[in-house]
Amino acid sequence: MKPVIHEHILVCLSSAPSNANTIRAAAKLSQAFGGTMTALYVQTKSSDQMGAEDRRRLQRHTRLAEQFGASVSTVTGDDVAFQIAEFARIAKATKIVLGRSVVPKGRIFAPKPLTEQLVELAPYLDVYIIPDSAGKNQRRRNPATKQRILPSLRDMWITMGILALSTVIGFVFHRLRFTEANTITVYILGVLLTALFTKNYVCSGISSLVGVLLFNFFFTEPRLSFRAYASGYPVTFAIMLFASLLTGTLANRLAVHVKRSTQTAWRTQVLLETTQQLSQAESEMDILEVMADQLLKLLNRPILLQCVNGTTIRRFPEGESPDDFPDTASQRFSFQIGGEPFAQALVYGNALEPLESGILHSILGEGALAIENRRNARQKEEAAVLAKNEQLRADLLRSISHDLRTPLTSISGNAETLLTSGHGMEESDRRNLLTDIYEDAVWLIRLVENLLSITRIGEGQAQLNMTTELVDEVITESVRHIRAKTHTIETDFGGEILLSQMDARLISQVIINLVDNAVKYTPQGSKIRIRARKQGKQILVCVADDGPGIPDERKSRVFEMFYTGNGKIADCRRSMGLGLYLCQAIIHLHGGEITLTDNTPHGCVFSFTLPISEVTINA
Amino acid sequence: MHKFLILVVEDDPAIRNLMAATLKSHDYRFITAPTGASALMQASTAQPDIVLLDLGLPDVDGIEIIRKIRTWSQMPIIVISARAEDTDKIHALDAGADDYLTKPFSVEELLARLRVTQRRLTFMQTSAPSPIFTNGELRIDYAAGCAWLGEQELHLTPMEYKLLCVMAQNVGKVLTLSFITQKVWGSSTDSDIASLRVFMATLRKKLSAGKEEAQYIQTHIGVGYRMQKL
Repeated sequence: MKPVIHEHILVCLSSAPSNANTIRAAAKLSQAFGGTMTALYVQTKSSDQMGAEDRRRLQRHTRLAEQFGASVSTVTGDDVAFQIAEFARIAKATKIVLGRSVVPKGRIFAPKPLTEQLVELAPYLDVYIIPDSAGKNQRRRNPATKQRILPSLRDMWITMGILALSTVIGFVFHRLRFTEANTITVYILGVLLTALFTKNYVCSGISSLVGVLLFNFFFTEPRLSFRAYASGYPVTFAIMLFASLLTGTLANRLAVHVKRSTQTAWRTQVLLETTQQLSQAESEMDILEVMADQLLKLLNRPILLQCVNGTTIRRFPEGESPDDFPDTASQRFSFQIGGEPFAQALVYGNALEPLESGILHSILGEGALAIENRRNARQKEEAAVLAKNEQLRADLLRSISHDLRTPLTSISGNAETLLTSGHGMEESDRRNLLTDIYEDAVWLIRLVENLLSITRIGEGQAQLNMTTELVDEVITESVRHIRAKTHTIETDFGGEILLSQMDARLISQVIINLVDNAVKYTPQGSKIRIRARKQGKQILVCVADDGPGIPDERKSRVFEMFYTGNGKIADCRRSMGLGLYLCQAIIHLHGGEITLTDNTPHGCVFSFTLPISEVTINA
Repeated sequence: MHKFLILVVEDDPAIRNLMAATLKSHDYRFITAPTGASALMQASTAQPDIVLLDLGLPDVDGIEIIRKIRTWSQMPIIVISARAEDTDKIHALDAGADDYLTKPFSVEELLARLRVTQRRLTFMQTSAPSPIFTNGELRIDYAAGCAWLGEQELHLTPMEYKLLCVMAQNVGKVLTLSFITQKVWGSSTDSDIASLRVFMATLRKKLSAGKEEAQYIQTHIGVGYRMQKL
């Protein structure tokens, strides 16, 4: 058989007109692979500034995806590629379908195309790119990008300050008659500092250019003019500009790198902590609580986890009360388990930073994984229990079919002898054969009773027929069924009325089995004493004999299935080893305990407990 | 010697033979029916005194037969069932059966049940409705509302007396727990059954009065109680 690989196709939604084609292509792909399809929309800051027409188009695309049978999810974050990659990882997508992203060529600071970023972030994914047949896709100018090009006022001040300071130092050097090379170094150092202290690479660029101009204006002959006499100056300016730009760019990259690695370290730490706590979680509820706790720690704002099954978990930052809980969620993140939606996290307050939402997705993913693992483990456990039950059943059947043959052979053989040559026999011989037949038949009856009880308790608590019973009535009636001419059976109930909730037939079976055992394993003339007493909130029933007792090393094994005391058995030749096992199972089902202790001076005592039931008497 | 006619309804030939042989060796008159239809026919034409009825018949449910017979006759019905489930017996008893036997039963047990039912029949036929009930040493004066054991008057609570009367009025019959609680309390909840257990225990203690052997009231585990005709 060919292994079935489940394909999960992720298609990205957008308001671009060409997106409809992309969705159709993804649907075809999904159909061809026989896989499932999820449509993902990444909400960014710019999504809020979307025009009415774009909004309508997006809605149309969402509906289209739903018509193709896709489940639609929305994630929020500015780093679109990261969001897609993270979602794909969590949702276990195998293929991603994208429209071709349009990147204007020739721009120096243009970001890498989405497809390339995706390949970098999620190398294990198949990425399908659908050509944009609709033609020009007008690029909307992103206000966020604009902001990145225009440096902030603070950055401008820093740049200007550093330039001024460099010029002052240059004047000092000039007064001290230092060479011009020193002044150039000071300007380059200024650019380096600018790059480190400002957030915008434009600043260091401006700083480089202005630095060269200032140097030219203040420090080269003729001074206070942009002209330069010496023939070598243009080369000096060019080298200076080049060195400044290079320094600025490098320093900028360094700053970005440092920032990124700090963020990565923090993210790793939070995730590591989450993983640790998740591994200690005992139940699905625990897992959800850990997730909520970690999200609160990460975001420090109200969190609401809502499960499909109706469970909700709320978390608030310190000092905020549940009354402050906002009415509307600002962002929703849904997560799935095994392809089924499982829960959604609602985060209140401002839009999340891309890094925050990235970690949020990681935490949700970890949680989903933990829950899935837990479910798998439980399924395995259940399967193991089932297998064990099957094994037990098989053992039982084998043991029965073997043990049934012996008495049946004896019955049919003896009956046949009586039929064919019965009349020529001595009366006493015939009686012996008849007694054997009778005893074997009775043995079979007991066995069948026990087997019936075993199948009934195998069905579990639901099959119990619980009624309020008087303990001494049940014991008296049970003992009446035992014919023990060779043993004395005494009962003692202490004159108290002991009521208990029980399945009378099963408890009666326990008493019959215990007394039967006592009769079997003790010599003739032994005394069997049954005693029932109230003991706290329980009723203690003891069946004691004064036989040889059971050695300690066997005590622990007597309640096992198919265990037989292979010793002297007084008047029964066979034992299936079911009786005590059944007793234990029945008592456990009633919430009691059965124990074996020694009798004094010799013999053994089987004691079991039953819950006492207090009743109000309707008089 | 027995003038009683017994109808044996049993589909299994081996068991039918066993019962026939047993009845024959104890001088009972009997007729047999292998199916529910023939059982109803025999019951209406031959007018037997006692019916031994197997619940698991091939054509009709045994409980249905009990209901049909009860529409026109109070003839005692002893149910014989291979089903170990108590609920089946309780259903049969509530439908109007008098007693039950569970397969595998011993021949002794069968004969004992027949004797009990016979005694009850004789008692019902000979004693005209009377305000005084007697059973062995036990005597109940319904009119005076008191009971004696031998010469000793029993000091019973109103509940115990009511319970004793219900048992006495159905002497020889196995009464289910819900039947008794319905008669005494008018309802059959868990706490009624618990109360029944307690009152039964005290009533029994008063009835046995030191003599352990004379058991007027018999317990049927998981089913109910019966007052024996001594």
